[in-house]
Amino acid sequence: MSKKLYDLVAKVMNVQPSTINDESGPESIESWTSFKGYVLLYELETEFKVKFTIDEAMDVKKIVDIKRHLKNHGVILND
Amino acid sequence: MAEERELSYYINKASELVGKNFEKKIRIGIISSFTINGLEESIRVKLAEKNIDCITYVGGYNQYNQEILNPESSLYKFSPDITFLIIDTRNILGELFNLPYSISALERKNFVEKKLNEIQNLANTFTDKTKSKLIIANFDIPTYSPYGIFETKTDYGFHKMIEDLNCGLINDFKISDLIYIYDFNGFISQYGGDNIFDYKQFLFGDMKISLDYIPYLANDLIGYVIGYLGLSKKCVVLDLDNTLWGGVVGEDGFNGIKLGPEPPGNAYLEFQLVLLSLYQRGIILAINSKNNYDDALKVIEEHPYMILRKENFASMKINWNDKVSNMKEIANDLNIGIDSLVFFDDDPVNREFMRLNMPQILTVDVPQDPSQYAQTIKKMNDFSVMKITDEDTQRGKMYLEQSKRNDFEQSAPDLESFLKNLDLKVLIKNANEFTIPRISQLTLKTNQFNLTTKRYQESDIKKLSEDDKYVIGCAQVKDKFGDNGITGVFIVQKENSKEWFIDTFLLSCRIMGREVEKGMLGYIMNKAKENGVEQIKAQFIPSQKNKPIEDFLNNCGFQKDGDFWFYSLKTQFTIPEYLMVRVE
Repeated sequence: MSKKLYDLVAKVMNVQPSTINDESGPESIESWTSFKGYVLLYELETEFKVKFTIDEAMDVKKIVDIKRHLKNHGVILND
Repeated sequence: MAEERELSYYINKASELVGKNFEKKIRIGIISSFTINGLEESIRVKLAEKNIDCITYVGGYNQYNQEILNPESSLYKFSPDITFLIIDTRNILGELFNLPYSISALERKNFVEKKLNEIQNLANTFTDKTKSKLIIANFDIPTYSPYGIFETKTDYGFHKMIEDLNCGLINDFKISDLIYIYDFNGFISQYGGDNIFDYKQFLFGDMKISLDYIPYLANDLIGYVIGYLGLSKKCVVLDLDNTLWGGVVGEDGFNGIKLGPEPPGNAYLEFQLVLLSLYQRGIILAINSKNNYDDALKVIEEHPYMILRKENFASMKINWNDKVSNMKEIANDLNIGIDSLVFFDDDPVNREFMRLNMPQILTVDVPQDPSQYAQTIKKMNDFSVMKITDEDTQRGKMYLEQSKRNDFEQSAPDLESFLKNLDLKVLIKNANEFTIPRISQLTLKTNQFNLTTKRYQESDIKKLSEDDKYVIGCAQVKDKFGDNGITGVFIVQKENSKEWFIDTFLLSCRIMGREVEKGMLGYIMNKAKENGVEQIKAQFIPSQKNKPIEDFLNNCGFQKDGDFWFYSLKTQFTIPEYLMVRVE
């Protein structure tokens, strides 16, 4: 399931999925602009059928944060 | 919601477009009161798919006033062809958006008038400074009101304020050919306010259009580009079985097909009504169907619930030939470019065959469910035009007359006797407020019999017509079968007292082959002679499509010298005697 998340991040950021890991974020991915950050959150909501709160949205700094918030909404990403 | 790709697709795809070659070019400016990231990328990618190179300029956040008022602004330096101005309701109303009832009804009314004046001033300043078309989005009317169910009982209430702003925009710019109003409020209604506006996206990133819907907005706005560049589709070519009616007439019989007021036959009825509405505004309809001709024609002529009848179709290919060959014949019959045809067929195999063999044709992704046919065609932006002229609304009738003309031609012993018996009248008209929209439209749309393929917007023609150095005219062509409308255009530049230059010379494809062009050219030569001019200079600029006019200058006696062609007015130019040329 982590793969599904990584693939989506890779698609939005236009990078290879192999370059994505839990520590990936705006600092490690050059194309991760603030706007692409919004796009990512929006497409995550559509893909995983969840609605992040504004606090959760603002808290996302790395992939691991997304995993944590998805978990709060009942989406468990097993590796 | 119809199929659309995610915004990330457009954002990433847009970065791959640099350096590609396209047939057409457009420069688009986008200025807005809020963040619309992703819009320009969606527009660029969608236009690239239509072979149009789009260069964009996106104004700074909420900088639309400065962009327009400052003559040195980046927007003006960019020099757009089309500019979209999108101001949201929250921005235009300011505090009154949340607190409309903090002031009196009279103050609300005055406020609306003041805002309309501001927009009018902005728009006029803009059009004074550029040649760009300005597309102003109207305002979204929220469903919410602090007065709740009492809103509609309120004197000059919150909703009425925005309705008046929207009406004011339409009235203020109704006669302008530079300023158009985009129905943004209609866009919100179509997709739903709750879907488009998301408080979290707004509060988090000042995004007032939900990201999923940006590509849909791009689709709407692209309609203006299609209209501006004159790329509007001219003809819908339709299959019959399971497209205009349900079932297969050859198998189910006249009484067995589904067409009528009850479901599922009403889906086809509804689809035919939409097609008829397109026909009435000037889109040509044609049939390309594998069928027994007599079976199909009986339905078209006699079925009580057929909306479209034989006279609505400018060309009917009902046979067992392959659809690609039929399509070529249809384009030939109608004398229009393959790329102005739209193909609508329920059978995915036929569609794939068409896409593979004739990629220039727009083959519609027809949904499996016929109840969605009407909506599919209604959502297409490919029929967008900046102006609907009298010629457009009469087009269906004109093509019918054309088919009578073709029958007459085939029964005539030779071309000359056909032309002699046609009673051709060429009426030359000057550029004026009635003819300018059509003159511009013809320069934008005509590809085949077009000497230079120079494109002119209405405002360009208006400007040139006020310039003493130009002679601009058009030709209305009539014959015994009817009125073809204004179908020829010429723009002549008086280079000096001895020489005039033919800047533009074109004929609509439906009038080609009748030597009307010689009537027009003869008029130009006579007028030049009257003005003491000694020679006419012309140029043929080859394009991918204007081969039909390639030999025109040579055939008319022009002599080539370098890049230009010359005709000495000492030589008498003869207008064919069967042409009656009159000047209005």
